[in-house]
Amino acid sequence: MKTSYLFSILLFIPVLIIQTTVVPLISIGQVIPDLILILLVYYSVTEGQIYGTVLGFVYGFAFDLVTGSLLGSTMIAKTVAGFVAGYFSSENKIDIYLMFFNFGMIVFLAALVDQIIFSFFSAFDISSNIFLIFFQNAFLPAFYTALLSMIIIIFAPKKRIL
Amino acid sequence: MLRFLNSFWFNFKEYIILSALVIFSLFIISQNQSPAVQKVRAIAFGTFASVTSIVSDIFNIKGLKKENEQLRETNAKLMLQLSKLREAAIVNDELKEMLALKDSSGFPLISASVVSKSFSRVQGTITLNVGSSDSVKVGMPVITDKGLVGIIYSVSSNYSIARTLQNVDLKITVKDERTRENGLMKWNGEKLVIINVPKTYQIKKGDRIVTSELSSLVPFPIPVGVAAGSNNVETGIFNEIQVIPFVDFTKVENVFVLKTVASKEIDELELNFLKKFQ
Repeated sequence: MKTSYLFSILLFIPVLIIQTTVVPLISIGQVIPDLILILLVYYSVTEGQIYGTVLGFVYGFAFDLVTGSLLGSTMIAKTVAGFVAGYFSSENKIDIYLMFFNFGMIVFLAALVDQIIFSFFSAFDISSNIFLIFFQNAFLPAFYTALLSMIIIIFAPKKRIL
Repeated sequence: MLRFLNSFWFNFKEYIILSALVIFSLFIISQNQSPAVQKVRAIAFGTFASVTSIVSDIFNIKGLKKENEQLRETNAKLMLQLSKLREAAIVNDELKEMLALKDSSGFPLISASVVSKSFSRVQGTITLNVGSSDSVKVGMPVITDKGLVGIIYSVSSNYSIARTLQNVDLKITVKDERTRENGLMKWNGEKLVIINVPKTYQIKKGDRIVTSELSSLVPFPIPVGVAAGSNNVETGIFNEIQVIPFVDFTKVENVFVLKTVASKEIDELELNFLKKFQ
């Protein structure tokens, strides 16, 4: 378990570098996929709900620290996203959940929760159209992240990697 | 009691851990402005940026980099001078002399590259490969040849983070170049808007919006964008004016930090003035 945590945190560093340098190049408008969330969902499904919740907290903290966003906002969003994704962790159903379409749906749900919470904590005008903001800030990035996750999961190991 | 606690932990440990971590996150949010947090953050992003700058460099075409940088610097200087000239044409020369306004023609620029970006829709930030060792300070404006990008928010020795205009926490005083009317511009999570604009103001679609001299962040006019019409508010006496920025924040790679910060002397003078009448 401890080695597993260490590996998932070490894997986070290159993913974070790619997220902040390469991923903006594949943005559509301002919609950017979230590679960190895909990694988080993968670990939540394969390692369990508590693991996912704690890992989400660590990932969020590191992300907030190095990107200059409001410290704590990504932390809280990723913690809850890891918790939600953890509902889909079951010893005998891992293979089913890691299937192409199923994994995409789990990522979509977790990304939606992640983005809604993040938007909420990034206080914008109450006078703005809240549905439009949630559509642009939460639904579109979640959909793009889910699409990308379906491609990534083809290459990901279907069993626990450590 | 111990048995009850044991069974409670066993049944609800996921929720207990979640609640504890969420409460801790909320506590961290409340500590954002503390100097200790700022210091830890400066060290963390400085270390991370030194790694990302290597990756970022791979994606830049190396041979053209220097030449591009020089051309951009010339462009940025010309843009600032043009902006200044536009101002000069509008303001009466005679009045200017009478008020003994100083005409500062030199704009010291620090050239920088963007090493990483965080483009959430509400908290846009960019990390630059210049820091306090290059004389970058918190509050300095970041520009390109097109106009204002943002303001330096945090600085380590070799790197700095700037809040872009697409950040809800950044508010700047701007003015309509044609009508000279001032207003407060901010990012509302969806678009750039000048808020609380009296309906009597004459700002029209297509007007150039520049930073105002009244701004405590940017002391002289830098182009920001063009007015794209008003979001007519039916009730009340105020309107919102939408602004389309000149700079495309998703594509910005090379920028300049304007080596100037708003005058502390002016701030202190105004503060003393206010205190006197309180």
